[in-house]
Amino acid sequence: MDCIITIDIGTSAVRVFAFEMNGKAIGFMKGSYPTFHTEPIYSEQDPEQVFITVLYVLKNFLTEKINTKKYKVAAICFSAAMHSVLPVNKNGVPLGNAITWADNRGKKEADDLKKLPLAKTIYDATGTPIHPMSPLIKIAWIKRHDKERFSKTDKFIAIKNYIIQQLTGECVIDYSLASATGLFNIHKLHWDNNALAYAGINADRLPAPVPVFYSLHLRREYQVSLGLPAKTKIIIGASDGCMATLGAGVWGEGKATITIEQSGAVRVAGNKMIRDSKQRFFNYLLTDGYYVSGGPTNNGGVIFEWFAKQFGVFNEAYGIDDSIHTLIKEAMQVPAGADGLLFLPYLLGERAPLWNANARGAYFGLNIKHEQKHFIRATLEGILYELYSIGKILEEHRAFSTLSINGSFASYPLWAQIIADMFGKPVSVNNSYDSIGTGALLLSQTEMGVYRSLEDAAKTVSLQAAYHPNKKDHQVYMKYFSVFEKLSHKLKDEFEEIALLQNL
Amino acid sequence: MSQFFLQQPASGELHPFPHIIELACQKIQHIQLNSFVRRQSAELRFFYITEGKFEWVINGQPFTLYAGDSAVVLPQQEFGSDKGFLDPGTISWIAIQPLQFSKNGQLVLGSWSSIPENECKSIARLLSVNHLPVLSKLGIAGSIFNNLQKEIRGQEIGYSVRVNQLIDELLITVVRHLTRQNNLQRDFPQIFMKLEQALRNNLDHQWLVDEMAVMVGLGTTAFTEKVKNYTGFSPLHYLINIRIAEAIKLLKNTNKSVTDIALGTGFYSSQHFSTTFKKLTGYTPRQFRANNIKKT
Repeated sequence: MDCIITIDIGTSAVRVFAFEMNGKAIGFMKGSYPTFHTEPIYSEQDPEQVFITVLYVLKNFLTEKINTKKYKVAAICFSAAMHSVLPVNKNGVPLGNAITWADNRGKKEADDLKKLPLAKTIYDATGTPIHPMSPLIKIAWIKRHDKERFSKTDKFIAIKNYIIQQLTGECVIDYSLASATGLFNIHKLHWDNNALAYAGINADRLPAPVPVFYSLHLRREYQVSLGLPAKTKIIIGASDGCMATLGAGVWGEGKATITIEQSGAVRVAGNKMIRDSKQRFFNYLLTDGYYVSGGPTNNGGVIFEWFAKQFGVFNEAYGIDDSIHTLIKEAMQVPAGADGLLFLPYLLGERAPLWNANARGAYFGLNIKHEQKHFIRATLEGILYELYSIGKILEEHRAFSTLSINGSFASYPLWAQIIADMFGKPVSVNNSYDSIGTGALLLSQTEMGVYRSLEDAAKTVSLQAAYHPNKKDHQVYMKYFSVFEKLSHKLKDEFEEIALLQNL
Repeated sequence: MSQFFLQQPASGELHPFPHIIELACQKIQHIQLNSFVRRQSAELRFFYITEGKFEWVINGQPFTLYAGDSAVVLPQQEFGSDKGFLDPGTISWIAIQPLQFSKNGQLVLGSWSSIPENECKSIARLLSVNHLPVLSKLGIAGSIFNNLQKEIRGQEIGYSVRVNQLIDELLITVVRHLTRQNNLQRDFPQIFMKLEQALRNNLDHQWLVDEMAVMVGLGTTAFTEKVKNYTGFSPLHYLINIRIAEAIKLLKNTNKSVTDIALGTGFYSSQHFSTTFKKLTGYTPRQFRANNIKKT
């Protein structure tokens, strides 16, 4: 029987899924790789270790779950984390580690560019906010601060491009991943001249952009070592964020999806870019002429984990999941609004909607009646107010009436209910256990003619367990949110001051 | 605990225990100049502070020790106070002479100890990679010292067994506390990162799973399961990922021979390296290198 394999090269791990042609899941395997922080604001990965991990997991997965079960692999489709930059020489050999999305070394470059009118021109053309995360800024940084590496670099590619080049011999980038580089004109589908000029490179120092359905073939050696037929189709695929949106069934107006992993994001999709005057939202291409727009927060589940590590009870070594469960149970004993205790979750600075790396966290409104459980509830609510604040501004551009949520934290019922209550909209939980894998499956099925279009494919995503908003709680949250929102803006000067003192 | 000071060879109480060089509990009421100058320790030393506040330098780093804290000084490490004397307070300590100790994982305690050989290796490695010789709030070490004193002075039947067991217990308590203090036992990703760093720094070492487990402060089975959950690989397979990744870089960027690369990245022979490499990548190391040099 034919099957489809999806490979997601994520921030910390590669996840491989297999599906039958009708979409039924066959199995899953993952393998993780490390991120190095040689300086506090640096965030790097070893491209060879990522490659070996992908290869190793894929090989084990094929051996254990596919080849021995008489499945025949019809296609392999890739997705990957956005914004990575890997300089390679003319032989395609990496010049050092890849710089990942979380790397902030280009903070000054980004700040400087933002002050120029050029910033708006580039944002309008590329759809990517000016931020140290974007390869546009990273390449400019390398040109200024790492001249030797810059001059040796033949091409600046992404980790995903490297893996695919190793496997197939071709160095190409899909429109979707290209659209997250800050260098790609998302309207005209080519590298943008203004952005290239700012970064200080020509288009020939970037991989050639190709559609997300572009397909390639494995090198012969890998056909042999992986036990795959020569005609196995390798579909280049899209970015993880766009795949997750497709996999959540969000297509067209009226729908939004919220992802909460370590970080979080609110996304909508449509055939127009959102031109936010303050450049707060990203616009990434899922495919030609189709945009996934939204805002990312730094402060998702990672903040609740921080709280659990500091104040949770640990009954066994490294038992953080257990500790989080207990905390969530305690939070349920506190009414919506945490009896007036508010939490600003900006422990990691913030991207959308503030775009302020110097923002910091705060508990506000403490009174003598507050107990430890109020802090738990407030922490949780603060993380979700932040997602609401992204959604609220996003709605000024594009209305939505339903929400779907995914990611490891969003699946806690209390989190889902609070999201429903804050937004005052019904919330569904994504049926499939991994929306990125589902997105890649839908894209492959469309490529292979199972569906006529991605739109038809998106419609098949079934959503379950709706959470309905509680009106009374919605009103409570809205009153407190108004204070939350005011605080997050009012404290701008104090954020600067305290960040300066903390010297982070 | 009352004051006492036992030392080889003067103190007869220590004669049945040749491995214990010193065992003492001292209440310092008056400052004695030059009583605690910085010097190199010949033995493995454990201190426990019952009262007072002490400012010491251990292995070149300054530390402030408070009541309830413990300190570990390894053989060849320097310790003492810049002031040259002990501040007022009460401290207990023991100095043990292992038969063998080296930083790359050699620790032979002697036949008196019931800690097995492989665990001793792990302990040595762990003590050596540890950069924080001070353990805060280790009250349990205080009670072990208390019992040691009772046993050695009371000399009741079976006391020689008890004394040695208590030293083993002290050692285990300290080592466990060290891993916990370093990891807080909370953040597996964070401790795993540290372990990964240690693996990279000693890639040519023939790592054993037991050794890795002790660095994280877990038993081997629990450790293997945690690593498998977190990384998707068994500890040794994860190590192979690192080894192959490093080898690939060396193949691409240097002219080192395949044998040198194999041994340098921890494979026990170039044959072993080539087999593992080919199984994973489909290429032999030589083909792989040729392929990456001529390709444009």
